[in-house]
Amino acid sequence: MKTRGVSIAACLTITTLLLASCGSGDAGDDGPVTLKFQALSDQPAAIAATESIVADWNEENPDVQVEIVPAGWDGVYDKLITQFNGGAAPDIIHYEAASIVSFARDGYLADLTDLMSDERRADIPEGILDSVTVDDQVIAYPTELQSYVVFANRKLLEDSGVEIPTGDTMTWDELREIAKATTKGDVYGLGWGLASPTATFMSLAPGFGGTYIEGTGEDATLTIGDGEMALPEQVHAMAYEDKSILPVTMTQSGSEAIASFYAGQTAMTVQGSYQAANITKDAPEGFDWVALPPLAGPEGPQQAANPQTLSVNIDSEHVEESAEFIEFFTQTENLAALNEADALIPATTSAQEAMTDKLGDENGWSTILAGGQNFVSAPYLFADSYAQWKDTVATPAYQRYLAQETDEAELAEQLTSGWEEITQ
Amino acid sequence: MTVATSSRPPTPVPRQGGRSDRRRAPSGLDRARRREAAALVMPSLLPILVLSVAPLLMGVLLAFTDAELVRRPDYQFVGVDNFVRLAGNSFFWDSFRIGMIWAVAVTLLQLVAALGLAQLLNSGLRLQGLTRVLALIPWAMPPVVVAIMWKMIYSPNAGPLNAFLGSLGLPDDINWLADFSTALPAVIVVGVWVGMPQTTVTLLAGLQQIPAELHEAAAMDGAGAWRRFWAVTLPSLRPILTSITSLNFIWNFNSFSLVYVLTEGGPGGRTMLPMLFTYLEAFKNRNIGYAAAMGVVLVVVVVLLLAVYLRSQLRDDRVETKKKEG
Amino acid sequence: MRVLAQQLVRLAQYVALACYIVFLGFPLLWLISASVKSSAELNSLVVSLLPQEWHWENYADALARQGLVSSAGNSAIVALASTALVILVALPASYVLARLKGAIRAAGVGWILVSQVFPVVLVILPLFLVLRTIGLTDSLVGLTLVHTTYTLPFALWMLQGYVAAIPVDLEEAGAMDGGNRLVVLRRIVFPLLAPGVVATAMFSFVSSWNEFFFALVLLQSPENYTLPITLSTFIGGEGKVALGPLAAGSVLAAIPSIVFFSIMQKKLTGGLMAGAVKG
Repeated sequence: MKTRGVSIAACLTITTLLLASCGSGDAGDDGPVTLKFQALSDQPAAIAATESIVADWNEENPDVQVEIVPAGWDGVYDKLITQFNGGAAPDIIHYEAASIVSFARDGYLADLTDLMSDERRADIPEGILDSVTVDDQVIAYPTELQSYVVFANRKLLEDSGVEIPTGDTMTWDELREIAKATTKGDVYGLGWGLASPTATFMSLAPGFGGTYIEGTGEDATLTIGDGEMALPEQVHAMAYEDKSILPVTMTQSGSEAIASFYAGQTAMTVQGSYQAANITKDAPEGFDWVALPPLAGPEGPQQAANPQTLSVNIDSEHVEESAEFIEFFTQTENLAALNEADALIPATTSAQEAMTDKLGDENGWSTILAGGQNFVSAPYLFADSYAQWKDTVATPAYQRYLAQETDEAELAEQLTSGWEEITQ
Repeated sequence: MTVATSSRPPTPVPRQGGRSDRRRAPSGLDRARRREAAALVMPSLLPILVLSVAPLLMGVLLAFTDAELVRRPDYQFVGVDNFVRLAGNSFFWDSFRIGMIWAVAVTLLQLVAALGLAQLLNSGLRLQGLTRVLALIPWAMPPVVVAIMWKMIYSPNAGPLNAFLGSLGLPDDINWLADFSTALPAVIVVGVWVGMPQTTVTLLAGLQQIPAELHEAAAMDGAGAWRRFWAVTLPSLRPILTSITSLNFIWNFNSFSLVYVLTEGGPGGRTMLPMLFTYLEAFKNRNIGYAAAMGVVLVVVVVLLLAVYLRSQLRDDRVETKKKEG
Repeated sequence: MRVLAQQLVRLAQYVALACYIVFLGFPLLWLISASVKSSAELNSLVVSLLPQEWHWENYADALARQGLVSSAGNSAIVALASTALVILVALPASYVLARLKGAIRAAGVGWILVSQVFPVVLVILPLFLVLRTIGLTDSLVGLTLVHTTYTLPFALWMLQGYVAAIPVDLEEAGAMDGGNRLVVLRRIVFPLLAPGVVATAMFSFVSSWNEFFFALVLLQSPENYTLPITLSTFIGGEGKVALGPLAAGSVLAAIPSIVFFSIMQKKLTGGLMAGAVKG
């Protein structure tokens, strides 16, 4: 009885596996094609912008109808991996470069290299396009990005006799000086939400010539040299030598740390650029703030790009139609409208310009959008073990370092030996 | 017939009827009774086989392959390679220690706290209906907001907990979830909170099930409340206590998403639970074979621990039976 | 003297109970407080239970979100159906499990433990394939079956504990009175089990009502989403959380559970006990 149960179960699983690997599908009729577009919902304004773009498309293309399947960011990775494995993924998939790359590697995403128009290709800054290019194949259209921006309390800076920097960029040394100058009494110069420090440090490393990862896939190797260590060391020095960073913020997330900025406890705060919209909404009345110029290291103001993306399921019966829809979706005016709703930076130069024209200097937009040309590809996106290394090695190691439990040498050692242990 | 024999598989011979055999009277079932038993179990069997046993077996088998989650996978049997590799994974084993502290602490605290609460809810205080519902609040909070709410409560500079401590003149700047010494205790408290309703309700139902006569008899013998708790309540609850602690232990050992949202395993890895590694390996690294090996190891360890626990519990049971009968 | 001691004990009991209620209930209180605060206030350092300004818009925002109400309906259907199924199946099976020794019990206990310990992330992929083969992904029926199957181990394990706690003498007495087995079950065992069944039913309901992972992975169309899935869409990318509306939605989502608990808790009282023993 028991053995029979087992063998039935075994047969069943084998059968289902066979069925799944054959890949079934509902054969299309002659009627209009329907594409399923799994869109990640965000703020209501962004949902409305997406719906309006899709409505425009559906009106213009009666033969190819797009149906939005809203999903949440929370858990979408788990949902996608099951959908892909079970052969039930939607046609068009909205996600982000850092997470979609692994699906491309495993063969689930269509190669869009030849389907992307030359116009669009030329419009996407090279660094951003690189972040969605896996093994020489474009596997997604980038749509929206964020960069790290320093927001400052104008009054606190002026009270300390600091002139608000204006140039095209601002060096990290300048940031350190301003932080020092504004630290007095109960006020700290800087608040920086570094609860999950890895992504922040890695995104800003290119300015210091830090790359972390070389090679791709299983062959990727990790180096921790001066370029990689420069930023953590600077933060450490600011926190413990200058004492110009409010300590509690270093254990908080960005949106938790911003409360101290509103309360006037910190003169500046490093935040994702999208927070500009929240500051407008949440800061106390009369709060006078400004977005400072993009931070530049010795190598320049580069930041690693991790754009939101639109990809096509390789098993979709309508890869070409899906690509055409994405092409439509990423037209200048559509991207500009979507990014305005999300308070993010468009992934195409023309949309960045359109947004700058429209929004001008209001709420720091011109400064933030100027950062849109500083994105470079992030090599860590293409390393197989990155996610695991980040969660189990790097984040704990950085947290120990930032809490003064370890020193520079120990940090570097923990980062590299952890990588070796994971990839052995 | 002695206690020791009861672990033997049932033999058809002299079981039937003997008074000493009453603990497992139906085990001497003849064939008809066995069929009756099968009929009682059958309805649950089909969905279990299809939706649980089959996927489970499949998952266990994967542990002996090099399966990855690629499109059109093609994997091979690799024997115990995955287990050999896992033996050398120091991160996984380090997190095992934290996982044990977490699971044992949460399970024990839950048990003690829930037993106390269940007693209170069962002792005829006023507003019993209302307090019983209030005790279930953690169940009513949707899980997506539980971690977010606790993060707010624990917030070092904007949280009610520190504000409350400050108003009492105590230190009000404790960074509960980010301080290396308070992070694990702080998440353990949340773990206890989350599991309280189910342990409490379970024990409350158990208390209700104890025949009132037992308490009355003990009271007549002059036993005080404390004595009755040890002599009547606890022994009567024993099977239920055993069931709920073993399940709580499994669940606690297995949970990671709550803690992950609270601390992301931080600070400095102080709250990194072993299940996180299985998740990362299975879904983020897509090495489902290796991840399955981790799952199998978790199963073996937990089942071994529980086997020891359940055995000792069952032995106590038997000793008690013997005493009663002797 | 004696009376005074008794009163002191009572007082201590009330104090202890109050402490429990504060510990268990405070997060809900804080949730309610967050649900009526504006985003500016939620992002300030001011700690206060009462909002500076009542911001009811959060509730309007939450209700305006797609499908909050309809997904609550889906959740209710799945939770009630799977609770009924679990009890229907587990009640007889747990009796067998508790009273029977030998191979079936060993297999049963083994499955219960393994199925609870083995990580769900490893089971979900084969499970998805099985369900897809029988056409039950993206369906509330499929989700109900899955919830039933994955709550069963708990239900069986707990119910067999309650059965084991029933003295066998009672059953034997019933059998001696000439009742056959089913009569004994119906007249003696099931009434005694009532509180345990209620506790198990409450657990089944809650675990299905709150279940996130299976629902997330199995359900594809928005019209099938359950409440936890809809609520999770309030959490945006890059950690952007619409905290006020999320809190408001969560408060609304908590109401049905609390109503359900209020109804069920009355049934937790084992009033049938004495009668069963004497009868």
